[in-house]
Amino acid sequence: MDIHQKWRIIRILLTTGYLIIGWLVFTGNFSPFSLSIGFLFSFIIAVFTYDIFIEKEEVARRALLPRISLLLIYPFFLIFKIYLASFKMVPAVLTEKIDPRIVHFRTRLKSDMARVLLANSITLTPGTLTLDLNNDHLIVHWLNAKTIHSHYAGKLIKGYFEIWLKKIWI
Amino acid sequence: MRLIAYFFLGMGVFFATFGNIGMLRFPDVYTRLQASSKCGITSIISIFIGLIILEGLNSVALRITVITIFFLITSPVSSHIIGRSAYEEGILPWRKEKPKDKQ
Repeated sequence: MDIHQKWRIIRILLTTGYLIIGWLVFTGNFSPFSLSIGFLFSFIIAVFTYDIFIEKEEVARRALLPRISLLLIYPFFLIFKIYLASFKMVPAVLTEKIDPRIVHFRTRLKSDMARVLLANSITLTPGTLTLDLNNDHLIVHWLNAKTIHSHYAGKLIKGYFEIWLKKIWI
Repeated sequence: MRLIAYFFLGMGVFFATFGNIGMLRFPDVYTRLQASSKCGITSIISIFIGLIILEGLNSVALRITVITIFFLITSPVSSHIIGRSAYEEGILPWRKEKPKDKQ
């Protein structure tokens, strides 16, 4: 058995594992019948979709198995930030004191999942909206632009998100 | 306990209202997207938190949490796609007029 085949089997098993977690959360039922049905269909779906879910080149261990403890705290942190952002949005709506600009910057995150989450988090927080994400290059629309220098804009916008996501994934 | 839940539900209505006002008042596509995406997701999260507090901790609350997480994933993606298509069409963002230009 060569290394490509081994990697393929590992990818199928990992996809099955993720799907079973989703099944357990949605059914909330631990009877043997439900578990076996869930396992069977997770496996069938995993055989068809493992290539989309985990790409062939993505081999780092942290990119596939994130740190669960930090990943569970992250949504609360994100929701707290979203509330702060919305309370800043209300005066902007009322007074219309806005100065929108488009800024470009790069991210140091390596895994695809972490980059997607970074882009989503940026869309959800203070007056910023991700327009495009090519590899590590982000284009962001900023409602109250303080600077258009790419390095400082990146620092201000990414802030703690990049540090958190870097700890969770790579 | 019920009062806290009602407070969160009221906050959801409050943010939804301001999101819609922002959509009507802002000048171009991108700023309108900002208002709608941010205030929309905040109102939905507030309403879900209020429902979880009303319901108590059981399997229904777990499912509401899962739905909230899916909302957190899908809502930014949809606004991102609208913004990206507008950006690739070449729509320039609205800029505040400088004091020099006004004279």
